[in-house]
Amino acid sequence: MRINPRRPQQTSPAGLKRIVLAAPGQVAAHDQAKPVRSIKNANKNLLVVAHSNKGVLDDHARQTIAAAAILADDATEVVTIILGELNESIMDTGADKVIILADLNAEQFQPDVALACITALIASMKPTCIFMPDNVVDGDLGRRLIAKTSKSAATQVVEIDTSHIATQSGAGLLIQNTLPEIILLAKDTVDTHLPFTGEAQLIAPKIASFDASAHYKDLGMQSIAATEIALDEADFIVSAGNGVQQIATFETLAHALQASIGASRVAVDDGKFARDKQIGATGKTVAASTYIAIGISGAVQHLQGIKDCRHVIAINKDASAAMIKRADLSVIGDAEEIMQALLMLIHQAKNVQEAA
Amino acid sequence: MIQRIAALVSIGLHPNSGAARHCRNDSLAMTIGLNLIKSLTQLAPPPLQGEGWGGDGVKASQHDEPIPLLTSPLKGEEQYALQVLHAGDAQNLALADYLALGAPQIEVIETERDIVENLAENLKNTDLILTGSRAEGGQASGLLPYVLAQKLNFPLVANALTIKLVGDKAEILQFLPKGKRRLVSVQLPAVIVVHPLADVDLHYAFAQKIAGKIVALPALKPANTEKIATQTRLINRKPIKLKAPEHKSGHERLLAAISSENKGGAVVNEGNSVEKAQVILDYLREHRLVDF
Repeated sequence: MRINPRRPQQTSPAGLKRIVLAAPGQVAAHDQAKPVRSIKNANKNLLVVAHSNKGVLDDHARQTIAAAAILADDATEVVTIILGELNESIMDTGADKVIILADLNAEQFQPDVALACITALIASMKPTCIFMPDNVVDGDLGRRLIAKTSKSAATQVVEIDTSHIATQSGAGLLIQNTLPEIILLAKDTVDTHLPFTGEAQLIAPKIASFDASAHYKDLGMQSIAATEIALDEADFIVSAGNGVQQIATFETLAHALQASIGASRVAVDDGKFARDKQIGATGKTVAASTYIAIGISGAVQHLQGIKDCRHVIAINKDASAAMIKRADLSVIGDAEEIMQALLMLIHQAKNVQEAA
Repeated sequence: MIQRIAALVSIGLHPNSGAARHCRNDSLAMTIGLNLIKSLTQLAPPPLQGEGWGGDGVKASQHDEPIPLLTSPLKGEEQYALQVLHAGDAQNLALADYLALGAPQIEVIETERDIVENLAENLKNTDLILTGSRAEGGQASGLLPYVLAQKLNFPLVANALTIKLVGDKAEILQFLPKGKRRLVSVQLPAVIVVHPLADVDLHYAFAQKIAGKIVALPALKPANTEKIATQTRLINRKPIKLKAPEHKSGHERLLAAISSENKGGAVVNEGNSVEKAQVILDYLREHRLVDF
């Protein structure tokens, strides 16, 4: 009798391979939930500080938490301080404990309060290392922290390891150094794919409230019309492709959603949109948190331009288009009809909101 | 009333050739400073801008009337000049780029060490210090303005796009990601870090380059004479991404290789267009992407 050499095997809890005579479908080891990272006698901790945006953490912040989780050993906990509210579970990032300081969100300018809170938490927890994403908001807070404390620090860290970090010099060389106490991590330095999860246990911060100093005064956010925001900066983009015939409806919808307008190459080539609206390999690369693709089939070049978008919604006639595989929500149907219906619903919702 | 404005400049590197040149971020900060000075004095553009190139090169090079400096403000006459400060080598040819971009005079503290202490000593009576966001050479950590502000005990505002002086305060339009802008007011004296996207036009004029002066300032005595031991190492390769070590059995690796990742989200095929539109609106509301 021939024995199938590729017959399924299982890994026992002891780590031994066991060949079982089971149907292949029953041995789906990779479907198992990831284990929680084991911590024995935690006596050290790594601190991650990051701002949330609209209640979620962006990729950069997740990478920073993942870096701490990868570098943490058996006796080390990863404590994450989220500035701003958090409406999602961050277990998959590898955070063991989470402190949420909802008042210190990125919308308000209160650097001294945030700095005082973080300093107080650092003093009480005494972390071995502090990680922060080096972006516009956290990079500013991190540098304030570095200037205030006398800890060793590195900014724009492009390579990190258990023993060393590296930053990039102006000449393009890597400058390797030993691990400092405060690390501001550049984007895409860490792979967020972890074989484990964290407990993400919420703990209440034990800190006093701090008063803002009289030096700074927040005069409020300035509203910029969505049409004036550069595409690569925009947070909400409605994009049209070949499937959009009525440009007027499309523009009304973009206006109603207060979204910036983008377009695929075909729509731009047809003269429906200006060249600076083109999204994709030859056009612009966007990083919006919401991207609604209407009548765009999703050529590779276009998908490349939207790879950093968080929520992609597709409206398309063709259910087998490449965009449908990329999108988080796809609606199959005629673009014009759905746009009209969406416009109607938005007007209704806005009327209800105004009446309330 | 604001008295003194200073801009800190550094030596930049050309991204391809690595040649020394002006640092664009610092040039933006300097130009904003020059514009602030212009608005303070309500003067016409600097004397050389109009006449420079065309005919009178000789006159431009002989332009030796004293330039009013903030380090020695003239009493009685309401005249200001931007103090453009650099710490490093006064002989560096790249400094002349800043003259060409409009600085009448550059003061250079000739030192390689204790830069923050030296700058702080020179800037302690300054009302407004402007810097670029990050240098192009050296460590380029973007830390200097923060450490300097800490040393001088000044407040600091980063990511400034425009700066307006209102009495003893400065109003700053701050850059935030995702197309947001914030207006912030800060009490002077302060350090303001200019964002690279600040809407400033740089004007390069050869005549200004010829007319400007570079003045060396004495440096403080180095505080600690022993060299700080650093364990830095230069390597010429691409950075390696940090990955979590995975101990997968061969079977698991095989399964991971053959099973395609289940990508793609929900697909709505049924219903009329209003129901489909409702699904989209529900999704937007669920993820708090719209506020209605």
